[in-house]
Amino acid sequence: MSEQSPDVHALDPESFLEEVHSFEFWFHSVEGYLSGQTYGHRPDVHGAPLAPDERERLVTVLCNYCIGETAALEGASGLVAIAPNRHTKVFLATQVVDEGRHLEVLLHRLTDVGVHAPEAEIERRATRSLLQFKRRLLELVETRDWEAAIFAQNVILEAMEFTVFQTHARTADLVTREVLNGIVKDERRHMGFGENELGRRLKLTPHIRARLGEVKKELDHLVLESFEETLRALAVPAAERPELGRHYLEVVARLGFA
Amino acid sequence: MSTDPLLRDERKAEEEPRQRFILEDTGFDEVPAKYRRFYRKWKGPGDALAPNEVVCPVCKVVIRSTRELRVGDRVYCMPCMSRLVVARADDGTLEALVSY
Repeated sequence: MSEQSPDVHALDPESFLEEVHSFEFWFHSVEGYLSGQTYGHRPDVHGAPLAPDERERLVTVLCNYCIGETAALEGASGLVAIAPNRHTKVFLATQVVDEGRHLEVLLHRLTDVGVHAPEAEIERRATRSLLQFKRRLLELVETRDWEAAIFAQNVILEAMEFTVFQTHARTADLVTREVLNGIVKDERRHMGFGENELGRRLKLTPHIRARLGEVKKELDHLVLESFEETLRALAVPAAERPELGRHYLEVVARLGFA
Repeated sequence: MSTDPLLRDERKAEEEPRQRFILEDTGFDEVPAKYRRFYRKWKGPGDALAPNEVVCPVCKVVIRSTRELRVGDRVYCMPCMSRLVVARADDGTLEALVSY
């Protein structure tokens, strides 16, 4: 059967983009890793009870992940209206679904570990820098600044979440690990979409580079600060923390930002 | 004729027939079933790549082809939607560069 399947590398670029931006592609992709799961993990996987200090750290971290995911959910849904073409609109609709799922599984994990009022807990434990980032992202969406909003959301936020979630998953309890690994699989599409969309735009309209450079200067440190705090809270050794910055710096370097 | 030995080797390689590969599904589950055999998980810097494989620089998944890869080939990373071109890295290995 597998030898009958089409050679993906033989597709022409337009057909490739049409395929990967489609709801059809999204559905058959997520089916592979979400089918049979309950709230982002296999139903028969149960974590060992957490020590009080471990639980405390996990709650703080999950609360801040919820803020990032809410920012992406609100951002992506607003971006559907200003997306430049139908393929992009369809892709962003799939991202909205992904972000809604992320928020739901993270909230569920909070209740799993005994948080009775997750919304209030998130308010209480939110880092200021992440809230500020969320506010600015939504302003960019509201002012219909497509490139800046995609840069903030699908490059800055998604690239850093991709690294933080992977790093956290390596040491997390079993349930949290499965939840995060599932989210990382979705994030691959989101950050790839952001980098490629902006890469194409920058190639066609190089004059937007200066404006995006300003957005980068204003916003990337907010997310970086917040996630560095997260990694400290998770007791990730200092030697492994530069990885967070490195991945993000590789992305912006490919896009031509020093 | 070029005096650059690397370029000479590249040109010589171009003339030789390419090795073909039968791709098996390795359990990579992030793309629709019909495309799964073209990708596998990357196990980190120690992961030895076959002549038909390159790592996607965007999302760090191993991209696989049914034929031996050579400089200039176009490959796609479906998990992150990137179009890539195969190039020769400074250390002599093949790498994939994003083509926007």
